[in-house]
Amino acid sequence: MRVLFLQPPLGWWAVWKRHIANNVAHAQLAANIREWYPEIEVKVLDARALGMDEKQMLDAIVEINPDLIYMGDALQTTGVAAIHPRYQHAAKLIKQVLPKVKICVGGFFYGANAPMMLEKTPEFDFVVAGETERTVPELAKELSKRDPDIPSIKGLAYRDKYGEVKLTAYRPLIENLDDLPLPAYDLFPMDKYVGFNYLKHYVETYMSRGCPNGCRFCVGWTNYDPRGNKDWTHYRYRSPERMAEEMELLVKKYGAKFICMMDEDLNVYRERMEGLIEELRRRNLKVPFFFMGRAPYHLRDRDLLKPLREVGFVCGLFGMEAVDKKTLEAIKKGTTVDEVAELVQLFRENNIVSVITWMVGFPEDDEMKIKDRIERLNLIDPDMAALQIMTPLPGIPMYKQLEPLVEDWDLRKWDFQHAVIRTKYLSREDLARLAAWANREFYSKPGRVQRILYYKGYHPFCRLIARTYVETAGKEHAQAAVEDKIFV
Amino acid sequence: MMQRDVHLTAKDLLMSMQFKPGDFGKIAVISGQPQRVQMALEKLKNPMRNFSAFGYTLWTGEYKGKRVTVGHGGMYAPDAALITELLCVGGVEYLIRLGSCGAMTKEIGIGDYVIAKGAIRGDGVTRYYVDDDFVPYADKTLTTKLAETCKKHTHLGMIWTTDAILRETKEIVNDAIAKGAIAVDMVTSPFLTIAQLYGKRACALLVVTDNLITGEIGFADIRVFDAERRMIERGFDLIREI
Ligand code: SF4
Repeated sequence: MRVLFLQPPLGWWAVWKRHIANNVAHAQLAANIREWYPEIEVKVLDARALGMDEKQMLDAIVEINPDLIYMGDALQTTGVAAIHPRYQHAAKLIKQVLPKVKICVGGFFYGANAPMMLEKTPEFDFVVAGETERTVPELAKELSKRDPDIPSIKGLAYRDKYGEVKLTAYRPLIENLDDLPLPAYDLFPMDKYVGFNYLKHYVETYMSRGCPNGCRFCVGWTNYDPRGNKDWTHYRYRSPERMAEEMELLVKKYGAKFICMMDEDLNVYRERMEGLIEELRRRNLKVPFFFMGRAPYHLRDRDLLKPLREVGFVCGLFGMEAVDKKTLEAIKKGTTVDEVAELVQLFRENNIVSVITWMVGFPEDDEMKIKDRIERLNLIDPDMAALQIMTPLPGIPMYKQLEPLVEDWDLRKWDFQHAVIRTKYLSREDLARLAAWANREFYSKPGRVQRILYYKGYHPFCRLIARTYVETAGKEHAQAAVEDKIFV
Repeated sequence: MMQRDVHLTAKDLLMSMQFKPGDFGKIAVISGQPQRVQMALEKLKNPMRNFSAFGYTLWTGEYKGKRVTVGHGGMYAPDAALITELLCVGGVEYLIRLGSCGAMTKEIGIGDYVIAKGAIRGDGVTRYYVDDDFVPYADKTLTTKLAETCKKHTHLGMIWTTDAILRETKEIVNDAIAKGAIAVDMVTSPFLTIAQLYGKRACALLVVTDNLITGEIGFADIRVFDAERRMIERGFDLIREI
C-alpha cells in the first residue's frame, strides 16, 4: 500500500499575494501512518510548492503510482471552500491516467459535509466525516487488505457496491493531541514555502483543535461531523513541551524563520501559555511567531504579553467581526468591542502587531452598519484588519439562516474574499463594493500605513506582512471582491 | 472704505497667535500631507509646537544640532502661500518642501522623485504677489545639494502648478509641457515665488504619485509610501549640508 498526500496546483488568498504554505494536516496524517502502520509507504507531492503544472503533477503521480491519494486541509486559510473545485479537478485528471487509484478528501469544509460532497463529486471515492487523524490511516490500512471492510472505518463517507453513498458510524475525537506523533515535516519541501509573498522559510503549525466559544458563523465547525456533540467546541491541545519541541525541530532541522501557529484559538488556557513561555525560554529558542487567540483570554493574561513578546510573539490575531451589540449577540461572539480596543493598545505597548478579523455580509447589514463598523475599527486602530466577506459554509450554525441569501454557488469564490451572498438590504454587488471600499480605506489611512510599514518596534517580518496587505488592498482584494477574479 | 494698506499681514497674523521672534528655526521642512509631517516631526529632538492656526501646525525642535521647524505647509496654492509667507516673515532662511506631484513625461515612474528647478505658474494666488511674466526658481545651491542626496530615480525640472486638479485637460497639460514642465503639483509656484520675494533659499522635492501621460494612478501605491518615507530621510540629509 502506498499513500500519496497531494497538494495539487492551487492559488492563495488575494490579500496574501503569493502564499505557499506547508499543508500541516498532510504532515500530521503522514506522521500518523508512518508511526501506526509502518508497513504502509507514505509519499508526499506538493505540486503547488514545487511549481508544477497539471501535466508535471500527473507525470509525478504516475511515477509514484499510489494506491490511495489524499487531499485536504485543516485550515480555512488555504482558501475556505474554494479548495474543493481544485481538488475535484485534480481528481478528475488523476482518474484519467490512473483509473484504479482511490481518492479520499477530508478536513476543513468536508468534515461536516462528507456524504453530500461525495454525492456531488463522482471523482472522489471517500470523504472523511469529522476528524481525519485516525480515519485516514485506518482507511489506508483497510485498503491494503485483500478484502477491505470499509463500513468498519468510523467517520467515513463511501460508496457501496451499488454506488450508493453511505456514511459509517461517528468517529469520536482524539482526546490528547500529545498521543499524536509530531508532523512528518521531513517529507515536505520545507525550503519552498513562502508566507505572505515575502517570508521565506515560513512554516504553519496546528497545535490545538477547536475553540470553546463556538461562534455561529465560524467556519471551524466544518472540520467536524455534525453528529458529534458540538465537536468544534471541544478544545484539545498539544502540551507546551510538545509545542516547543515542534518549534525547536522546525527551527533547528528545517531552518524555520517564522512560525505561523494556525490554531484557531491558541490561548484558551493560561497554564498552557505560561508553559510555552517557560519552554521557549528554557530551550533559548529565538524564532518570531504568530498565533490566533481570543481577546478575553489575552486580557485575562495581560501580564503574559511582555514575556510572550520576549520569547518571539510578534504578531497576534483576534476577532471582532462586528461592533453593534445586536450583531455580536446574534453571532454569539462572546467578545466586546471595548475588550478588542483595550487589547489593541496593550499589543501596541508591547510592540506586538495586532490583527483584527472583521466581517461584512451579516443578514442585517446595510451600508450604514458597514460604515459604522469601519468607523469604529478606525478608532480602535489595529495594525491590520483581516476583512472577511461572509461565506456561508454548510456546517456552520448560521447556514440555514444564510442559505436563502446565497446568490453565487460557484465554490471557486467561496473564499471570504468574494461576495457570494446578499444581505436583507444590500445586493451582492453592493456588498462586494463596500468590502473593497472598506479594505482600501483601512489600508490607506495616513499614519497607520506608515506605522505598520516602517515602525522599527515591530518585527521586520510583520512589517513585510503588512506590506502585502497594503499592496493588495486597492488591487487584488478589489479584483476578487468587485471583479470576481479567482485567486485560490 | 478700508483705510489700511493691507487688512492682515503675515506679521499681524503671527503676532495675533502670540508668536515671538526666534520661535521658528532657520530651517523649515514642510509638507502638505499629515503622514509626511508626522514622519518629519519624528526626526526632531524635543519638538515644541509654536504655531497653530486654521488647522495648520508648526513645531520647532532640534536636528543634528540645528533648530528646525516642521509642519503643515499647505496642500493647495492659497494655503501654501499663507504658510510660506508666515515662515519667511517668522525668520526662516531655508525652506525645504517635501511634497508630491504627477509626472508629465512617460519616463518618470510612480515613486520616483522630481526636484523642482522652478515653477510654471498656473495657480491663482501668485498673481497677487508678482507680475504675470515672473518665473520663480528654486535656490540653485540647495537644489544641487538636494540632487546629490537623492541620485536614484530623480528628475530635475520645472513644475507646473495648477489650482484645478480635475481640469488637467489635454490642451492645458500639453501647453504646460511645451513650456518645459515635467511634473504638476498644486503648491510649488507660490512656495518658490514667495520665498524668492523674501530673499529666502527654497527647494522642493516631490514624490511622483501619478502619471498624466500613461494615466497611471498610484496615490495609495506601496511605491509611493516607500518613496515618501525615503523622501523624509533625503530632506533631513539636506539639513546636514546647510
Ligand atoms: S472565537 Fe474565533 S475560532 Fe472561536 S469560534 Fe469564534 S470565530 Fe471561531
